Amino acid sequence: EDALLPAPQNISILSTNMKHFLTWSPVMVQGETVRYSVEFQGEYEREYANESWIPICECSLMAATECNITEDISATVAYNLRVRANAGTRRSEWGTLKGFFNRVTTSLTPPLMKVIADGYHLLVELEDMGPAFQFCVLYWKKGQESRMQQKVVKEASSVVHLDTMEAGLDYCVKAQAYVEAINRSSSFSQTKCVRAQGGTSVWL
Amino acid sequence: TVGNKIFHFGPCRVSMSMTEIRSGFNTIKANIQARDPIRTLSILSYPHSLHKVKSSDRCCVSHQLFNFYVDKVFRHCRTEDPYINRKISSIANSFLSIRRNFQQCQEQKNCVCDQESLEKLKQVLENYEGLNVTAAAMKALGELDILLDWME
Repeated sequence: EDALLPAPQNISILSTNMKHFLTWSPVMVQGETVRYSVEFQGEYEREYANESWIPICECSLMAATECNITEDISATVAYNLRVRANAGTRRSEWGTLKGFFNRVTTSLTPPLMKVIADGYHLLVELEDMGPAFQFCVLYWKKGQESRMQQKVVKEASSVVHLDTMEAGLDYCVKAQAYVEAINRSSSFSQTKCVRAQGGTSVWL
Repeated sequence: TVGNKIFHFGPCRVSMSMTEIRSGFNTIKANIQARDPIRTLSILSYPHSLHKVKSSDRCCVSHQLFNFYVDKVFRHCRTEDPYINRKISSIANSFLSIRRNFQQCQEQKNCVCDQESLEKLKQVLENYEGLNVTAAAMKALGELDILLDWME
């Protein structure tokens, strides 16, 4: 097989909230469908397994120019990634991501948050951002920021009871996401305030 | 969360993504154990179970076993199945990352083995080296849940 095809260019990683995607520019060949194959190499492969590369089956001979590599980036180490183009019997050289990718660099967004005043009960419902996430929720009586309280929420699967409110007072809440595996937090969400008894709630 | 567990060895703290490792292992466990013809032998549990290790030695024994898997085992576990290889890579890279945490403990002198534990580790190596390397590596990989259970 001859390597007439140009190697894929503009190879980059899009990583947000611990979901990682490899993307590249399409290789254009008149009248032919170009397909792509992706491989990864972890630090272990570089140091202990003769710099071997491991193919990602879901991204083998596919037409798309994006590959979800989340499942394979499952350790907080430096990974190499590469992609190759195929058209008929022809294929390109490997195009390799410039520099390593480590999931510690993923960008973390503040969680969507719904604050509910259920009678005297201050409740919060958090966006399910995936298994890697836990949350730090801060809440306080409006105007009493110095007496802020904190609750760590390990799973976003259910509504969380924060406090029992005093009638007629406004309570404010904000939250940030935390990923233990990379020991990093998002910025805080916008603050949302509700009033005990008849307060309303809306998704931010 | 992803089941990150924090192991405290005295003042030393080691974070491990246990659920990630276990889920990776569980998807390949049956396949790997099916490749182990010698079911009567154990590498980690012969002659004594890991549960006999004193709690003061848990850090050192854990560290040395992670070294054992990273340095000796995973490299001989390449299979003809790309999916299995992907999962082994995930576990191996997680072990590499965790081992780095252990090294910090060792530098703080919180991760020391006594003679009895050193004997235990020596026995594990003897069990391993008493077999053909690929068979030994597959057997050791198949026993990963013994290590994970003991650690948890």
